Amino acid sequence: MADLDTIELVKNIEVDKYKYGFTTEIESDHAPKGLNEGTVKFISDKKGEPAWMLEWRLEAYRRWLQMEEPTWARVSFPKIDFQDLYYYSAPKSMAAPKSLDEIDPKLLETYAKLGIPLKEQEILAGVRKQGEKSTLDDEGNELITGRVAIDAVFDSVSVITTFKAELAKVGVIFCSISDALREHPELVRKYLGTVVPHGDNFYAALNSAVFSDGSFVYVPPNTRCPMELSTYFRMNAKNTGQFERTLIIADKGSYVSYLEGCTAPMREENQLHAAIVELIALDDAEIKYSTVQNWYPGDSEGKGGVYNFVTKRGDCRGRNSKISWTQVETGSAITWKYPSCILRGDNSRGEFYSIAISNGVQQVDSGTKMLHLGKNTSSRIISKGIAAGRSDNTYRGLVVAHRKATNARNFTQCDSLLIGDRCGAHTVPYIESKTSTAQFEHEATTSKISDDQMFYCMSRGLTQEEAVALIVSGFVREVLQQLPMEFMAETQKLIGISLEGSVG
Amino acid sequence: MNVLVPKTLAETVFGLALPHRKMEDWRWTDLRQLIDKPYPPHQKVTASAQDIDRLVKSSPFAKMAGARMVFVNGHLSPRHSQLARENVATRLGSDEPVLQMNRAFATDGAHLKISGTTDMPIELLFLATRAEARTVATHNVIEVEQGASATIIETHIGEGSYLANSVTEIRLGEAARLDRVKVELEDEDAFHLAHANVTLGSSSALNDFTLTSGAGVNRQNSTVEFHGQNIDAKVSGAFMLGGKQHADTRLVIDHQQPHCSSRELFKCVMDNHARGIFQGKVMVRKHAQKTDGKQSSHALLLSETAEFDAKPELEIFADDVVCGHGATSGDLNHDHLFYLMSRGIPEADAKSLLIAAFVGEAFDVVVNENIREALAAFSNAWLTRRRRAR
Amino acid sequence: MLEIKNLHVKLTKEERVIINGLNLTVNAGEVHAIMGPNGSGKSTLSYVLSGREGYEVTAGSVTYKDEDLLAKSATDRAAKGVFLAFQYPIEIPGVATMQFLKVALNSQRKARGEKEMSTPDFMRYVKERAAKLNIGPDMLKRSINVGFSGGEKKRAEILQMAVLEPSLCILDETDSGLDIDALRVVADGVNTLRSPDRAMIVITHYQRLLDYIVPDFVHVLSKGQIVKSGDKSLAFELEAKGYAEYAGAAA
Repeated sequence: MADLDTIELVKNIEVDKYKYGFTTEIESDHAPKGLNEGTVKFISDKKGEPAWMLEWRLEAYRRWLQMEEPTWARVSFPKIDFQDLYYYSAPKSMAAPKSLDEIDPKLLETYAKLGIPLKEQEILAGVRKQGEKSTLDDEGNELITGRVAIDAVFDSVSVITTFKAELAKVGVIFCSISDALREHPELVRKYLGTVVPHGDNFYAALNSAVFSDGSFVYVPPNTRCPMELSTYFRMNAKNTGQFERTLIIADKGSYVSYLEGCTAPMREENQLHAAIVELIALDDAEIKYSTVQNWYPGDSEGKGGVYNFVTKRGDCRGRNSKISWTQVETGSAITWKYPSCILRGDNSRGEFYSIAISNGVQQVDSGTKMLHLGKNTSSRIISKGIAAGRSDNTYRGLVVAHRKATNARNFTQCDSLLIGDRCGAHTVPYIESKTSTAQFEHEATTSKISDDQMFYCMSRGLTQEEAVALIVSGFVREVLQQLPMEFMAETQKLIGISLEGSVG
Repeated sequence: MNVLVPKTLAETVFGLALPHRKMEDWRWTDLRQLIDKPYPPHQKVTASAQDIDRLVKSSPFAKMAGARMVFVNGHLSPRHSQLARENVATRLGSDEPVLQMNRAFATDGAHLKISGTTDMPIELLFLATRAEARTVATHNVIEVEQGASATIIETHIGEGSYLANSVTEIRLGEAARLDRVKVELEDEDAFHLAHANVTLGSSSALNDFTLTSGAGVNRQNSTVEFHGQNIDAKVSGAFMLGGKQHADTRLVIDHQQPHCSSRELFKCVMDNHARGIFQGKVMVRKHAQKTDGKQSSHALLLSETAEFDAKPELEIFADDVVCGHGATSGDLNHDHLFYLMSRGIPEADAKSLLIAAFVGEAFDVVVNENIREALAAFSNAWLTRRRRAR
Repeated sequence: MLEIKNLHVKLTKEERVIINGLNLTVNAGEVHAIMGPNGSGKSTLSYVLSGREGYEVTAGSVTYKDEDLLAKSATDRAAKGVFLAFQYPIEIPGVATMQFLKVALNSQRKARGEKEMSTPDFMRYVKERAAKLNIGPDMLKRSINVGFSGGEKKRAEILQMAVLEPSLCILDETDSGLDIDALRVVADGVNTLRSPDRAMIVITHYQRLLDYIVPDFVHVLSKGQIVKSGDKSLAFELEAKGYAEYAGAAA
């Protein structure tokens, strides 16, 4: 029973420091510091991209030069000096690894430390013959159980993608964007930038110019992707911005579930993460995208934490298509992201489930946008914000039904839980209905953990912190249930850890 | 991209910059664009006695017993008024655009100090008679002293093309009580730009209702500030809009102190090409513990071209509070319609019944039965006119 | 009074056919019970007869008092004497019960060319009937069905029937959610309204209601068709054997 599991987990929580805060000493390839057309060319060259790709990047760069940083979000941070960053950093041993030996053992060690089961068999499944079953990691900290295909990205460069061959058998393409540009350029060209164009916003333009890698997924018609796909991001090098780009296409009648996990080491300077995720679902297709984000939040003053500015958008292009976003955000010094759905196809559906936790001095301004364009579209938004410490947690949402979006339906529930009186929780929803046939329902509540609840837990033997974790778990249950099973247990642990020190 | 935007004609005449859609609070009401001709202030207007009498009689509360103050084109008309101006000073200091305009252009207003219990409602009637396009600005200051209570109605009626700029400041002393009703029935060709600021003293109570139904463009900016503890505030409003009307209400409930409660209910009905906007913000500041604040806004869109935008915001800095807001938007409930029709009520009548019931819920905050009846009568007349127009 | 011939009905938005060749004749003075498993089309039949949107008649006819019923709007059907007592009576906040009844009755009278009732007459008229159903003046002042318990809602539906005096009463699962006492009150109210000029269709899942409202005819509805008809003993048979025998009966 889930409740008992939670209680067990909660009892075993150690008051822990950010345990992913180690660094890996590794030789890296850098572009010279700063950003200009030369940097863009350097990156495109390094990746051996076709000419049209370089031109695409340059267009984005030139557009970026004309834009201004947006300031409307409820976040404040010292001005970023864009010339004081490295825009490319790749672990040196990156030329097409054909076998395990060719991969820098330090890298493998890093991933092992992170609990990613990149064991020999798994890696070789992409390199050797089929028939090899995946084995479970025999170390204690296992992050993922069962079969999950993984694309491991180290400092914006895709290190290895597992299970490629097995997926290829059913026609599913899962590889790094760099590989996709080499092996399936027509697919990339057809879809890249069609959901988040260059000029969409300041950080999107920047990303389009200098993105170095990310995951590419294509699921052919009427195919249910046989396993969860996952990308594990790790930012390691100093002073480097991480700009990865993910593109997922679900062709007619297909289904894919994708999980993104993120960590970063402790640093003194803040690190910038400006990613773009584009999802495209054609007729009768479904994409489920889950994120568990635990970037370094900074020290008690917020220094050194990650700035997470992400543009994520799903285009329900086809009839009856469906895209659902599930996110658990517990890290970053600053989070600024609005996974959105464009409900273009008739009968399409968009969903957004989110848990955003802020502690210490973190700032979160996150939410979603649901744009109802087609007929009979529907959307559902469940957002749970938990603010503790001296943090500031804002839900910002936009639900729009355009004039022709007949019978659009939306249900939104955003709840905030405040722990302590030095933090802030805010909701800023925008609701725009331009058709009388749209039915919108929005509800938001703010509350705290009641003293009665706390007393009850503690009188049964839980410590204050365990009680908080347990109660919060119940508060966010509806969202947790949306996560792929493999990640639920770890996520609950993560929630507990991120709230430590929040009470008393 | 800081390009200097050239002043519009209206701005040049005003000598003031007008708010535009790049400003967060004005994103749906771009006055710079909407005010497309000059409305010079401080104009001398002669109004005929017949026009004034006619407009006075047209107030929904004309037949109600009460004490009145009548302002014609921005100036007190002693002939029609039973109350005189008293000595209360303004205390508003903000930079809000509608308020800035008023500081520059206000010619007169109701200044009242209320002590003791007044049985009869006080009606403040603001009339604009038909004349050249111009700005008519009034500024009211009402102080309800400690322990006093009153019922005050503010009625705005006019004919022709004009810009009415109205500011009302209200201060409630300790344990004071105010029932306030504002009815905006300007001409469809007119602008109504208003700002209301209410500060509430400890243990005071406020019941406030605003009906928005006249002007072509209405912007109502209201703030309710809790300057004490154990205060209870109920703020409601109703929009009844048709044609091409545009109404934007921005309401800020500012819980500055603990142990207070607030309830807001807005019912907005939009027909034809009307557009209703509700921006309701509930703020709970850091030490305002044990705040109980709930807000809800509901929109009923009666035609395919009607629109509704809402931004129900919560800004919470205290944890031991219970706050919530809800917003819904849609058309008439088909099950309800069918139920009434299946009992033999013709479709048009059934719709009117449902719309009246929808809006009627917002009228419930008004304590005075006569006023409530007058509002219900207005609502039925609006519905009858709507049916005839079809 | 009512003749349904070969009726086929599907939902407007889907392809699924719900009523699949239904035939039924109901004469004035008769009480017909329609029983059937869930999903057999019972509620759909009641909605189609009362004129609710969302259903498309693809074949067949419904004749009521020698006129084509399907060609009339819901309002017109009510004026002609059709009344549906809802399974889940709708709550309408802000519309007081008494006011609602007056508007409904007078709208119908107007449509029939009859004189409208004055308010004092009407209030007497309603209070008389309400008292018989244990409905007090408080309930009449409240908004329709708002805050009413299940039993109160059903009684309110029967009050409407008593006030509007329809010719064809369709009772859609009137017994659902009621305990024995509430059931008795409702059944008594219905029985008081039985008359040689009035016909009733009682739709129910359970036989129990029929102990109190004794039918002249019982029909079994399965997969959109009437697969068996009989007298009141058929109801006992169904109670004993269940609907399994009829589950595969429809073509």
